[in-house]
Amino acid sequence: MISPQQAHLKPTPTPDADSEQLWKGLKEGKLFLQHCEDCGHIQYYHQAICRHCLGENLVEKEASGKGIVYSYSVVYRAPGPAFKNEIPYAVVLVELEEGPRMISSMVDIDPELVEFEMWVEMVVAPISEEITLPRFRPVV
Amino acid sequence: MSTKTIRGKAAIIGAGTSPLGKVPGRSPLWLAAEATKQAMADAGLEKGDIDGILCGHSFASPFHRFSIALSEYLGITTTFSNNYQVSGATAATMFNTAAAALECGLAKNILIVGGDSLFSGLTPELAMRSMSESRDQQYEMPFGIPVANTFAMTAHRHMKEYGTTPEQLAKVAVVHRKHAIKTPGAQMTTPITVEDVLNSKMITSPYRKLDCSLISDGGVAFIMTSADRAKDSKSQPLYILGGGECYTHEHIFLAPTIVSTGAIQSSKNAYAMAGVTADDIDFAGVYDCFTGTVIMILEDLGFCGKGEGGPFVEAGEIELGGKIPINTHGGLLSHCHPGVPGSLLHFHEAVKQLRGQAGEQQVIGAELSLVHSLGAGFATQATTIIGTEATL
Repeated sequence: MISPQQAHLKPTPTPDADSEQLWKGLKEGKLFLQHCEDCGHIQYYHQAICRHCLGENLVEKEASGKGIVYSYSVVYRAPGPAFKNEIPYAVVLVELEEGPRMISSMVDIDPELVEFEMWVEMVVAPISEEITLPRFRPVV
Repeated sequence: MSTKTIRGKAAIIGAGTSPLGKVPGRSPLWLAAEATKQAMADAGLEKGDIDGILCGHSFASPFHRFSIALSEYLGITTTFSNNYQVSGATAATMFNTAAAALECGLAKNILIVGGDSLFSGLTPELAMRSMSESRDQQYEMPFGIPVANTFAMTAHRHMKEYGTTPEQLAKVAVVHRKHAIKTPGAQMTTPITVEDVLNSKMITSPYRKLDCSLISDGGVAFIMTSADRAKDSKSQPLYILGGGECYTHEHIFLAPTIVSTGAIQSSKNAYAMAGVTADDIDFAGVYDCFTGTVIMILEDLGFCGKGEGGPFVEAGEIELGGKIPINTHGGLLSHCHPGVPGSLLHFHEAVKQLRGQAGEQQVIGAELSLVHSLGAGFATQATTIIGTEATL
């Protein structure tokens, strides 16, 4: 159970046996996707088997980091004290050029100007020594 | 489709609630126990008759094994017990599973119950836990995505693709308030207009405060037994005619699509098992955590075409006298939302409708009800179809 003090800290991802490589890549500024050599499926996020054919023949390739805003929602009421200083902010469901979708949030834009199908690109946002989050900004 | 079925094999013979809304000074276990006492009285059973129990997760209870803790609280020993956790869909899964368990002889009388005190009972620690545990810690929560936000993004995309309007979302809230005003004990009883909804504070776009459901305390319980035993019941038995479920994703970004849901599949299975179609349903309990949720689910349950949910609501079709009256008690939006017991209240209203006990809100001649529960950003979907003896 977390304490009220901890609630003021943002949730920090804890890499596990599946996701270690993904977080390692992000730390180096690269977003890796897994490509299945057997069936061609491309997936975000990392896991030990292909979500389509269950094969283990996965190779990681760097994503372009570009995509479109498939959907979004601007948060005006923070989910807990840790995000109070950030509102309003835009949470986005990004569809990457390579196909997979991911959840992230926008930087470098007034959140009220975020639009559907807007082109965005990844920027890396370190939040600790170990963890760097993939966030997005508009492609100018 | 398998030829095995739960159609007509088991029945609801008792229903009860604790005090609902704001109930300070009462634990989730007490709320669940009080609802259980009411349901037992309704069924004409003693506590010793209960040998099975299914519960939903209770955020404000420190017990991991809520069903076991509740058995102890009630001083009973059971031979079938579990706590289900598929978020908001849990309610319908308990009815579907209980029917199967009764048919297979795992228990004779199963208590289906939920109790939670989200309004009064959450210590800061438990509130934080419930908030932080609701979405994934690696790929969602670091970006500050509350569970409301996953529902908001689906509604937002629905608006873009089908032209669903903020006014149509607002109309859902207005109808639920209208229903709640006529329901004794409802939490929200001040009339609202579409303008009131559109002028309420933005929470997570496109959802404003009045597009969002309530936070409440309460317990809701049912007793189910086999169809054979139900014949001797003190109350009018209501039969489970069909059940269906569908689980499509954990993370919102892996949902196959965000403008339609697994409710299409869960209801398809339930209709097929019951041998009925959407047109046959007299009353529906539809999970209404947000206004847009109702619009999408009306489409996926087949009450209107895809993309037509907005105009369908606008035309008054979900009100008494409309094509499919829903949530005549006021739902999670205006009646009461204590977590899992909130979706059990949709079943409670279905029981009242089928027994002809819904008073001013009665759907005349209601024989067939569908209840749909869902949760976790549309990840979990479960449908149950219930009917009177005449529908067997």
